[in-house]
Amino acid sequence: MENIGSNSILNSPKYKAVAYGMLFIVCLLLPKIITNMYYLGIINYIILYTILCMGLNLILGYAGLLSFGHAAFYGLGGYTTAILIKRYGFSFLPCPLLSGVVALLFGILLGLPTRKVRGDYFCLLTIAFGEIFRLVAQAWIGFTNGAMGIVGIPIPSILGWSIRTEADFYYLGLILLAFTYITISLLIHSRFGRAFIAIREDELAASVMGINTAIYKIIVFAIGCFYAGLAGSYLAVYQTTVTPSNFRLEESCLMIIMVIVGGMGSLLAPVAGGIVMTLATEYFRSISEYRMLIIGVIMVAVLLYRPQGIFGTSAFKD
Amino acid sequence: MSLLTAKTIQKKFGGVIALNDVSLTVDKGEIVGMIGPNGSGKTTFINNLSGLYAPTKGQFIFNDEDITGLPAHVITGKGISRTFQNLRVFPNITVLENILIGLHCRIDTSLWDVYARFLKTRRVEHQAKKKAMTVLELAELSDSQGILAKNLPYGKQRLLEICRAIVSDPYLLLLDEPCAGMNPVEMDDLADFIKLLQTKGITVFVIEHNMRFIMSVAQRLIVLANGSKFQEGTPTQIQNDKDVQAIYLGDEGDL
Ligand SMILES: Nc1ncnc2c1ncn2[C@@H]1O[C@H](COP(=O)(O)OP(=O)(O)O)[C@@H](O)[C@H]1O
Ligand SMILES: [Mg+2]
Repeated sequence: MENIGSNSILNSPKYKAVAYGMLFIVCLLLPKIITNMYYLGIINYIILYTILCMGLNLILGYAGLLSFGHAAFYGLGGYTTAILIKRYGFSFLPCPLLSGVVALLFGILLGLPTRKVRGDYFCLLTIAFGEIFRLVAQAWIGFTNGAMGIVGIPIPSILGWSIRTEADFYYLGLILLAFTYITISLLIHSRFGRAFIAIREDELAASVMGINTAIYKIIVFAIGCFYAGLAGSYLAVYQTTVTPSNFRLEESCLMIIMVIVGGMGSLLAPVAGGIVMTLATEYFRSISEYRMLIIGVIMVAVLLYRPQGIFGTSAFKD
Repeated sequence: MSLLTAKTIQKKFGGVIALNDVSLTVDKGEIVGMIGPNGSGKTTFINNLSGLYAPTKGQFIFNDEDITGLPAHVITGKGISRTFQNLRVFPNITVLENILIGLHCRIDTSLWDVYARFLKTRRVEHQAKKKAMTVLELAELSDSQGILAKNLPYGKQRLLEICRAIVSDPYLLLLDEPCAGMNPVEMDDLADFIKLLQTKGITVFVIEHNMRFIMSVAQRLIVLANGSKFQEGTPTQIQNDKDVQAIYLGDEGDL
């Protein structure tokens, strides 16, 4: 969290406004600067993973709940959008929200046991949930088209803006990312955000502060999952397909590593994690058998030289 | 008028009876001390009172309301705050953030407010920070507001934990061995601070091992031994009580 009360110039509102303004302009003009479709595609994946990691960071970095099921909620979002559009002829506009809500509802369901089970058992539950989701997606051929996945999801359009090119998807991703960042920022800077942190720091002490820890754990888990659903919706229209193999346990692990590398419990950290890890995966694609190995090496290197993560505060460094 | 009445509180852990038929009252505005040898059940008593455990038998009546066995977060909301014997500040966040978490139950922001009425939320947050700062000023901790709690000296962390408990304006403050690990100067400061809290209208129930400290702050003492109430009286009465001296002989010996 920011250092409230520090008087550094970087915190002065004027400087902040200028910095945000410049960032905003650069973001808007980026597809004009980077015209190479391949690079723009990588940036789109960075945006996608940043949204995923911002959601996971709420769960893992702020509330301290380890979830290996994030890819399943991502998948729930992806399949929701794919099925709504392909099967029920929905337009794309309501899909991101509906996908997020589906993930949120399943998040509440999976979050319920946090009332009863300890953190490490909850972690096992999330692994099980992730596997069950993938197996159901594979086996329920009538609804999900099985291992083939749902293909040929049509070009989305929002109020007449049809989203075709990499640049179009860049702007769509940017809108979703901005929404994610703003809503998470509002949440974190309220008593809810502080309650999540208190639960991470010391759950018993948190309950004595008047925090209903059972409810707050469900809230943070479900809200974190909402953003995974949102990202899944984006993936469905961007990739034009969703298959069960998009949402394997390996994806969940990758997201966890991104959050750790970026720096847990800091608002912007997932951006750094998303950038570093997406670039690394992309760069080493030719030797993709070793992908997880290389990702592991990067994580160890970061943890050795910067235990709090790239953007993390010093909070986790003893 | 009594703020808190504990009626025949019993707590069993399996076969162990940690508390047996403890009855006591705490009046508004008092500073009540609880002493007793190690393992006599003092911490267990306030754990039951603050909702971490439910007593196996008995009742806690607080502000004319039965609060026995309510969850901890509800009891805090009703105006009972506490600290822990083995210090439990939130280590990896700042001093100010610690205090703000203590204010949780006095901030009524809903999720709807967070997303849809963020200007209201912002105003509420601003007021919360102001309130937190007044408490930090009271404890002369305002210079440390931006420091991570774990980087404070030990004695200040103890003070921070008390501030975190009082920021919600509780009726009753429970302190579990607040001067464990403090040096004599810090202890005297703490005694003054507790008396200051009394003038602010907070009733204090304090468990403490250090006799000099408890004699200087408490107006009434309750002695616990082997889970039962053993004696009760003014500090002077307790100090001169032969039976109390006897149970302390092997333990402290310095009453
Ligand atoms: N959670 C628990 N489970 C089992 N026994 C406990 C528990 N908490 C306390 N006890 C027992 O209850 C007795 C009283 O402990 P405690 O209240 O911590 O004493 P004090 O605070 O007076 O030193 C001790 O014998 C202790 O072993
Ligand atoms: Mg004790």
